[in-house]
Amino acid sequence: MQWMTVFSKELLEDWRSYKWIWVPLVFILLCIMDPLSSYYLPQILEAVGGLPDGTVIEMPETLPEEALMMSLAQLSMIGVMIIAAITMGVIAGERKSGVAELVLVKPIPYLTYITAKWAAKLLLIFSSYLLGMLASWYYVNLLFGEISFLKFMGVFFFYFIWLAFVTTLSVFYNTTVKVPGLVISYTLLTLIVMSVLYKIFAHIMPWFPNSISTHLMRFVMENNIPGELWGAAGITAVLSVILLVLSNYVFKTKEMAD
Amino acid sequence: MDELQQLIDILPIIAPVIVIQLILMLVALVSLIRADDTNGPKWLWAILILFFSLIGPILYFIVGRRQS
Repeated sequence: MQWMTVFSKELLEDWRSYKWIWVPLVFILLCIMDPLSSYYLPQILEAVGGLPDGTVIEMPETLPEEALMMSLAQLSMIGVMIIAAITMGVIAGERKSGVAELVLVKPIPYLTYITAKWAAKLLLIFSSYLLGMLASWYYVNLLFGEISFLKFMGVFFFYFIWLAFVTTLSVFYNTTVKVPGLVISYTLLTLIVMSVLYKIFAHIMPWFPNSISTHLMRFVMENNIPGELWGAAGITAVLSVILLVLSNYVFKTKEMAD
Repeated sequence: MDELQQLIDILPIIAPVIVIQLILMLVALVSLIRADDTNGPKWLWAILILFFSLIGPILYFIVGRRQS
């Protein structure tokens, strides 16, 4: 099957460029960094010194839920940047180097080419994210207190929809321009504009994709899934599908025009 | 003695972090040595990877590796 061929070729390439090693490792580090350092902050401050003897450092108690959300905070900044960076050349790079022409000379539907590459990158990101969050969950349980499996799965599942959206956005820009540097700029710029829009209009846009992490905070604290979370997740998933369909359309017209 | 005990208590928890950072650094170095060509001088990348844990290897993999 053609789809599987493109898909496994992409996986193989990511393996050869070491992505299957470094991306999971970096995600694990990102996810455990903040919970760990906030747990050891008193010791770190003590070791660094400079405080007069007898100083008592009062730290507000960190709840296990807050510690788990720290991992998401890291992912939403550096994690998203890494996702944008590893996907910036997925199609644009091949078009620039001419490999795409070689591949597309064969009667491969554009949609097959795009979705297979998209799925391969998504699998890499999913695996890295899973490992990172499992590591974070382990440490949070160990250091801060128990978080139920269901709660963890909820956080994991809903936040992955956001990460999948970021991936899809980057794949979409891959079909519009040939320069990977431009792709990552457009992707990050779009995400920044979206977050500014959300900050301004949060009260009238409860289902905006960026609201997922806000609703997630409520979910972990209150222990039930707010309706807005389903709404935002649904909207984000639909937007991702629309972006994929659009990618196919844009890619078709662009390639024809070339 | 007290501080030593504290260190021994913390070590099993911190050790995985150090091991992962070391693996990351090693993989980046292996990749750097095996690469035919990089964006920018190789020795500079070696310094970045060795002395800036986490940031160095990430930057190398994203910016330094030349797509062949």
